[in-house]
Amino acid sequence: MALKALDIYKLLPKKNCKECGDPTCLTFAMKLAGGKADVDLCPYLDDQAKAVLGATTRPPIRRVRIGVGERSFEIGEEFVLYRHEKTFFHQPGILFEVSDTQSPDEITSITKRVKDESFTRVGTDLMFSGIAVRNRSNATDSFAAAVGIVENVADLPLVLISANTAALSAALVHCGTYRPLIHAATKGNFKEMCALAKQHGCPLVIKAHQLDELAQLAKDCSAEGVQDFVMDLSPASLYEFIASSTGIRQLAITRTAPDLGYPVYLDATAGGMQDAWIALGIVKYASVIVTAPLSRASAKAALTLRQNVYTDPQKPIQMNPGLYRVGTPGKDAPVLMTVNFSLTFFTLEGYLESARIPCFMLIVDTEGLSVLTAVAAGKLNETLVLDAIRRFDVENEVSHKKLIIPGYAAPLSGRIEEATGWKVMVGPRDAAEIGDFLNEEWKR
Amino acid sequence: MGFDLRFGWTGPIGGVTLGATRSEGGTRRVSYRIGGGSTLPFLDSNSSFSSPLIAFEICDNPVFWPPIVRNYCGDLVNNVEDWAKTADSTYGADMIRLYLTSTRQRNFSDIPAVGKAVEAVLSATSLPLIIEGSNEPKIDSEVFQRCGEVAQGERLLLGTAEANRYRSIAAAALAYNHSLIAQSPIDVNLAKQLNILLREIGVLRDHIVIDPYTGTLGYGFEYSYSAMERIRFSALKGDTDLAMPMICSPADTLTIKEVREAESAVQDEMAATWEFYTGLAAAVAGAEIICVRHPETVGKLRLAFTSMKNGTGSAQVR
Repeated sequence: MALKALDIYKLLPKKNCKECGDPTCLTFAMKLAGGKADVDLCPYLDDQAKAVLGATTRPPIRRVRIGVGERSFEIGEEFVLYRHEKTFFHQPGILFEVSDTQSPDEITSITKRVKDESFTRVGTDLMFSGIAVRNRSNATDSFAAAVGIVENVADLPLVLISANTAALSAALVHCGTYRPLIHAATKGNFKEMCALAKQHGCPLVIKAHQLDELAQLAKDCSAEGVQDFVMDLSPASLYEFIASSTGIRQLAITRTAPDLGYPVYLDATAGGMQDAWIALGIVKYASVIVTAPLSRASAKAALTLRQNVYTDPQKPIQMNPGLYRVGTPGKDAPVLMTVNFSLTFFTLEGYLESARIPCFMLIVDTEGLSVLTAVAAGKLNETLVLDAIRRFDVENEVSHKKLIIPGYAAPLSGRIEEATGWKVMVGPRDAAEIGDFLNEEWKR
Repeated sequence: MGFDLRFGWTGPIGGVTLGATRSEGGTRRVSYRIGGGSTLPFLDSNSSFSSPLIAFEICDNPVFWPPIVRNYCGDLVNNVEDWAKTADSTYGADMIRLYLTSTRQRNFSDIPAVGKAVEAVLSATSLPLIIEGSNEPKIDSEVFQRCGEVAQGERLLLGTAEANRYRSIAAAALAYNHSLIAQSPIDVNLAKQLNILLREIGVLRDHIVIDPYTGTLGYGFEYSYSAMERIRFSALKGDTDLAMPMICSPADTLTIKEVREAESAVQDEMAATWEFYTGLAAAVAGAEIICVRHPETVGKLRLAFTSMKNGTGSAQVR
């Protein structure tokens, strides 16, 4: 069970020595209770107190790093069932699978794709996370060779999938120091798998079909000295995945079953419903998703869903205020004012691009609020608009003094006209109608 | 050693009936009862639980429809009856959602044509219908009245009521015993407020389907996703003003940049994939009617929903 801050405080030395970095033992206790500090920071704890605290103060889901260097990624350390309760912190790694039965050229080209392919959305580059190498041949040499080919192309995080410990051992000669994820330890082979994971300091997938078997396996593997686990339940249907993954998350974050406090692994390659597995994996708590290389359409949709679900709901993404150009606007081009909430910006920009009317977008600083909320909260007002017109020198960019404002800002039109001396035109509420609006109202 | 999964839910989601068969006073070959869930979506232990419904959206004036669907469906889009028939028999939808886009023309006044369009679709398909009325407050009253009247007994789902525009649609729903869609802009409190307004003028809870508004994947879908989760969560915690089933219509999906600007060879796949990811995630968040516009999305969703149902034999799936 989780300990409360005061219970933890009772176990601390109460010296307020500040050696842990916190000003008092009580504030340190509060951090421990929130899973935000490590017991080892306190030099005065005896082993018994550490043992009591260690199990209950670490994050309810262990943080595991896969790979090394720039492209390595962290998973786990999640605290909530719903993203709106706080946020989801570590987005799942989505890895493309190659098999050691494929030709070196095929393996090379898939690896290159993961290395280089990137897709920009809302100012962020979205990429796939790594390569999973499957030992489909079950032979030792070809597995090691396939891993070698991948390693030659790029330093990407890897998953090594094999039931053959000799093959894994041979592959780890190539990549063991780069923290690949080893798949997978089962009830039957966990001792050998743990030995490999321990020898190379790698995270390990543990695999069982029932939650209680999985919890037992986590215990057994911990006893072998491995700590970084990822759990594979090999669900037989999408239903089984939703049920087991939700179960693991709920039992882990409430610390009802601390032995299930590890990230979840999902194999999306089977069954011909790759998109469904990936979409569910993203929304329902998978942390490592292995898939066959995706089509362009699926690739974009998957990365976008992942970006959406792992966006912090408490922090709107903001644009820098300024005067942005769509196409190559001339002196007579329309000027459209809107807020610096990035979603508003990109939605409007998209529709303006397809309207094919070169224009200026005047982005004012509403601290990331949307038009509707900014107007309601008084964050969007005539002073702000006037400042933006001056600051971004709009009067010298265009030869007219007409400003198009969003439909939802209509109540401000009079005050904006008075403050700026510009003629205000009230645009549509829905950005989708901006093309028609410009064609009908502006060009007239 | 087993694990007991407890969330502490107190109230179930209320039920809403869509469509009416002959024995129920209508002419549909099937009627649906949605809602009734007592935990998170897809986790109900009762294996008879129905999958989300897939509604195919059509319209009576395709000028207002995404070009990609017009291209894919070809001449069908010019004949609302044939389009509805095809959506039923070929695309395999569970429901048809007819948008009366003809009413969006400036100064529209041909109310009898509205009634004819609804009648045409009622006779073209025997699936339950969602009818999306006017977008213009001035003609709301007549349009909804006419839709309600010509489909009396059919238990339509009428759309769409909003906070500043709900009286006309509610009057038609009440007069002819139809249900209605209550749409609010991605906010749990606004959804609740609208439901209370509707209740105060006499619309019963079991005649309301919540539409928390679906932002397109990549353009605000995260807000819709969380709004849906919060509505479901509040309902399960016992808030009866939010304990209604939800509908998701990712209608803007087919006009976003990624779909619009895709190379023509992959444009249909892009559209269907984008709708699929949005619809599937919305279903997991709690939506029980998923609306789509691209025909290829229907089968993809169907396959996934089958595998998401409790008690599905694993052999069928993998």
